[in-house]
Formats: sequence, C-alpha cells, structure tokens
Amino acid sequence: MSKRAVDMTFQALYTLTDIRVLLRETAPSHEFDKDQRVQAERLLENLERQVGSLKQEMLK
Amino acid sequence: MKCGNGIEARQVNELFINIDPIQAGGRLTADAMKAVVAYGDGYSVCDNCRKPNRLDYISKPPIAQFHKDVAAWLNMDAMRTVPGARRGFQAVAQTYVGKGEPVLLTSLSHYTEFLAIEEAGGIAREIPADGHKLVTPDAAATKIEEVKREFGRPPVLAFIDHVDYQYGNMHDVAGIAKVAHQYDIPVLYNGAYTVGILPVDGKALGVDFVVGSGHKSMAAPAPSGILAATAERASEVFRTTSIIGDVTQRRFGIKEPEMMGCTLMGATLVGMMASFPHVKERVKHFDRELENQRIVMDTLLSIEGTKCLSEYPRTHTMTRIDTTASFDKVAETHKKRGYYLSSALEEHGITGVIPGATKVWKFNTYGTTKKQALHLAGAFVAIARENGIAIKE
Repeated sequence: MSKRAVDMTFQALYTLTDIRVLLRETAPSHEFDKDQRVQAERLLENLERQVGSLKQEMLK
Repeated sequence: MKCGNGIEARQVNELFINIDPIQAGGRLTADAMKAVVAYGDGYSVCDNCRKPNRLDYISKPPIAQFHKDVAAWLNMDAMRTVPGARRGFQAVAQTYVGKGEPVLLTSLSHYTEFLAIEEAGGIAREIPADGHKLVTPDAAATKIEEVKREFGRPPVLAFIDHVDYQYGNMHDVAGIAKVAHQYDIPVLYNGAYTVGILPVDGKALGVDFVVGSGHKSMAAPAPSGILAATAERASEVFRTTSIIGDVTQRRFGIKEPEMMGCTLMGATLVGMMASFPHVKERVKHFDRELENQRIVMDTLLSIEGTKCLSEYPRTHTMTRIDTTASFDKVAETHKKRGYYLSSALEEHGITGVIPGATKVWKFNTYGTTKKQALHLAGAFVAIARENGIAIKE
C-alpha cells in the first residue's frame, strides 16, 4: 500500500463531502440549476478518477 | 442506514430544510466536515504539541495562530477555546463570583448563566425586560441600584445576552456595559447567537469578555465555543496554576485552572478552525440572511391570525411566533391534533419545528438559500390553505 492510496482515500472522501454539501444546499428537492449541475458533473468526474486511482493502487 | 451499532446515519440537513432555532448557525461547512474526517481521533491535535505543552501554543495544525486570529477578529486581546459557551460562563463566574455575592443577568438570560452563578455560590439578580421584550440600560441602572440596596454592594459580574434565546431580540449591550462600568462591574457579552453570525467588536461594545458558541453559531462540531477577554481581564480569568504537590513537589507549568488545562483537543477544535475563514466572511453578509428571514416572516404574517412575538422588523433570523389564532385553530379538530403542522411541514421537506407545537414556537432561517426561503414561505401558505386558514393578500 502506498501514500498515494491514502491520499486518494481522503480525496475521495472530500469529494463526497462536497457532494454532500451540494445536497444540503439544494434540499429538499435536489433540483440543480445550471451552475450546480456543472459542479455536480465535475465532482462526480473527480470522484470516479479518485476511485480509479485508488483501485489501481490497492489492487496492483 | 446505520453508521454504527444501532446508530442511524443522520441525514436531516441533506433531506430537509432545517429551521430548528438552535441548529441553524452550527451546520458545518464543507471544510469543517473534511477536518472532522481527518481529525476525528481522540488526541489528534496533539501530534506536534511541544513545550510549553498547552493547546494554544500548538503551531501544527495552526492552533496558536487561530487563537490570535479569533481574538483580533472580535477586537479582544486574548482568546481560549472552550467546550461550549456555557464553559466560558463557568470560567468567568468561577473567577469573579464568591459565595453570596450578587450577579446581574437578565429576565431573558440562558439557563446556563444561572447555573454558572449557582456553581460559584453567587446569587442571581435579573434585569427585567420591558414590554417589548428588550433589556435596556435604564433598566440595568435601576436593577443595579436595587442590588446595592439589597446587598450593600453592586453586582460582582454582569452577563448580558446580545441576542436572547427566547425571542431572538437584540439588546443594547453597549449601553448596558457603559452603565455597569460606572459601578466597576465586569461585563460578559453572551454572543451565542451573534459570534459567527454577525459582526462583533468587543472593544466597541465596551465589554470585558466575549463568549461565543461554536456549535450554535460558528459552524463547528459540539461542544465548542470561545471565551475572549480584554488584556486586563485575561490575566485574571486565564491566570496560570500555582499549585504544588506536597509529596512530589510537582508544579504544572502554564496550565490554566479555569480551562482545566487543555480544552478542545480534536475534531471540535479543528472543525471550528476549518470553518473560521468562511465564518469571517459570512458575518459580512448578514443582510442577506435577514432578507431570507423577511421572505418567510412576511409570508407567515400574511396567514390570518399569526403574530410575531419577537421585535419586528427582525434584526435576527431566530424568531418567536404565535400561531394560536391560525395553525392552532386547526389542531383543535385535526385528526393528528397539534402534530399535523410538523407532519405537513415534513411532507414539504421542512423540519425543525417542535412536533406538536402549534401555539408559540421558534424558527431560524439562517443559512438558507433564497430558493429555500421561498420554498419555506410557499409551504406555510400551502399548509394554511389546505387547512382553511385565510391568507391576507
């Protein structure tokens, strides 16, 4: 296991935290305006990348 | 979903607009949540604690700098973190109040101020609020004179809430402090509903202590808070220990008895620190918060029979209203009785109103977006209409 795996774990948790805050800001309907949709797309892309890197590190 | 054995994961703020009067200002920022993830372990801030081994000297994470920054932000000379505002009251009361000595507070003071006085052996004397539920400098002067006649001396300390927890009304702390100082009474400013919500300047207010609540108003985990003091008072309340063990001859360096050594040692402190830059910024925009409050308040007042019990127009987002002649009328015959209101609000994605309350209750719109404020307003009107309550157009 590597420092990178640990970093990626934290980064993914932090990205999920940003997603959580977006859900709070848009409660209760969670209907996103244009900017929020862009933000959600970016966060989800980051999360996928971070989980991908984590998978690479942990299963190599 | 569970987050531990029998512990339900709390998703209140993700699923609902939460207007609970005491929870609004304590919701964590994203940075605070991240800090909690990283610093959740017990003594997590102590990795780099070096001599002189005291919390406010730790530079990594930058706890020492945080102490300086908060003191400067409040225009005070020294600051310590405490496990909740109440522990700030306690530290000050223990320093200044002796057995049987009178202490001034108000008829709207929080119960923990009374408990702090009681624990120190003091006697509480309340400045009565006027008919508008406001505490005035004139009333403070009258009460001090009464105390002097009763005890043969003025009070040894005054606790004054800038915004009280009962009505969310804003009181003239600067005026009251000026009166108290004429009698040499040190003044503790209770900023549980202001520090972290709106700008607070301790020197401009002329107070000796500023107490704030991290979990109530500084977007921090509980229990957390701050106690700030002027230089003169800091040397008293933050005095260092002088005790010596008779067998071991041990001394305890620069530990502070009123703080019981170190105070917040993990997620609470780092959560508060992580939110601090956001808190500093948000107090500059309290007008936006009042605007969202106005959207909801004006709509509630358009519901026939609803009254605002707090001062109006509002100067704070926490508000006490009386719906005895509106929502409570429905409760008399509704099959859910008084629970229909919180139940209907929940169906609209709103929580935080005490279940069963339809007569007098409090709400707080702090931290809502404009869209959420409009949603709240629309929901109250919809519930009123569904239940046959008239709306003033």
